Amino acid sequence: MAGMSGKRLQKELAKIQGVLPPGISLVSAEDLREWQMDLIVPDNPIYPPDEEYRLRFHFSANYPIEAPEVVFMLLSNPERKIPMHPHIYSNGIICLDLLDKQGWSPVHNVESVCISIQSMLASNTKAERPPGDAEFVRSNRSRPRDINFLYHDPTV
Amino acid sequence: MASYQADQLKEQGNAAFRNGEYLEAEALYTQAVQKYSRNPLIFTNRANVRIRLMDWNGVVNDCSKSIEITGANAHNHKAWYFLGKHAVAKTLLTSNRQLGLHHPNEALTSALTAYDQVLHPQPTAKISPKDLETFSAFVLKCKKAKFAARDLERLRRQGDLRAELESLLETQRQRDLDEVTTQLGRSQLGNIEASERSHEITTTLDDKITSLRTVFGAADPAKHEAREVPDYVIDMITFEPMHDPVMTKNGHSYERATIYEHLKRSPTDPLTRDPLTIKDLRPNFGLRAACEAFWDSGASEWIADWS
Repeated sequence: MAGMSGKRLQKELAKIQGVLPPGISLVSAEDLREWQMDLIVPDNPIYPPDEEYRLRFHFSANYPIEAPEVVFMLLSNPERKIPMHPHIYSNGIICLDLLDKQGWSPVHNVESVCISIQSMLASNTKAERPPGDAEFVRSNRSRPRDINFLYHDPTV
Repeated sequence: MASYQADQLKEQGNAAFRNGEYLEAEALYTQAVQKYSRNPLIFTNRANVRIRLMDWNGVVNDCSKSIEITGANAHNHKAWYFLGKHAVAKTLLTSNRQLGLHHPNEALTSALTAYDQVLHPQPTAKISPKDLETFSAFVLKCKKAKFAARDLERLRRQGDLRAELESLLETQRQRDLDEVTTQLGRSQLGNIEASERSHEITTTLDDKITSLRTVFGAADPAKHEAREVPDYVIDMITFEPMHDPVMTKNGHSYERATIYEHLKRSPTDPLTRDPLTIKDLRPNFGLRAACEAFWDSGASEWIADWS
């Protein structure tokens, strides 16, 4: 119900403008339904400390009963890359149990999702893409939940 | 035969309503009850249209008629819901402050009755899946309105300057909203314009009150700063205060309607992900009492938002 998500998102926004854990910052939430957060990964040589990653959160009217859609964004200005991780596709889609139907719980919030993604990156040792990455990116273009994240030629 | 014709007209009225043609719908429902006046559903449908047309007296009349037909104790949650909606709206609209204080109580009573009827439906009742959630949210809204009015009045009588200023702003809002209703009645405004204008008036007023509180909070923090609502009153899913908390096996409580919605999608405990069903939930009377006490303690002052 739209009422539930609206109220909850307003309150989350108020809280998130206070203190956030290190490395996580709010970029924008002008549209209450769509937020952007910047993430820095501490203590992992795969992810340089000056490299920031942009997350896009999209909330349905049934949030928080339904999980938000969370993906990494590829941007050129400012520069934001998709981090290398065996569970992150080059189009920004994240394979995290927390984000799918089975693993999501409504007691999670934007902050806890960011922390989980941050720690997923921090503990990673393999700077690679998931197997079948190219195929996945090609074949999933038609799925309704897929959004085109590419704002810039990814080969550059 | 007459009741069949009435049903046909009712269906036409429903179609018009869905298309946003409220005056047309009202006319059709009126024709329907002229053919056959013992169908309570036609009256509740007309009440629904009249809410959109802001014909508050008409809403009360239709709901009362509907309840009269079904009998006061019988199941008629829609009629109670619309009655509650009317009373809340009247709170906003009426310029008589004394009257305004009484209506939130009626609104809350009606809302609680409707909620109860949806929670314990009679076998013949037509409940839609979203009803519990809708009515639960409406109970919360009525609570906020009731306690807001009551606490403001109490402070004003104590000579509190902020409360006095807020009262003046509220009176202004009611005057402005009355003006809109009058203009709508005289067809000087269309339906859409009227509701846009009402929304604008309400939003502007809410912003002014927020600014006022900020200023007072800054000037005299000890007395006016918004205090934190205690965590135990808050539902972990909606972040709203609870009115009917239920407890899971591991001792955590949630608003009943909220956890029901969650369980529909995932029959698991939100915290532990263990299997969980509605039957495993227990009412938490102690927490409910604590939530009630919270409202009584001038809590509405701490909840800066209500819509």
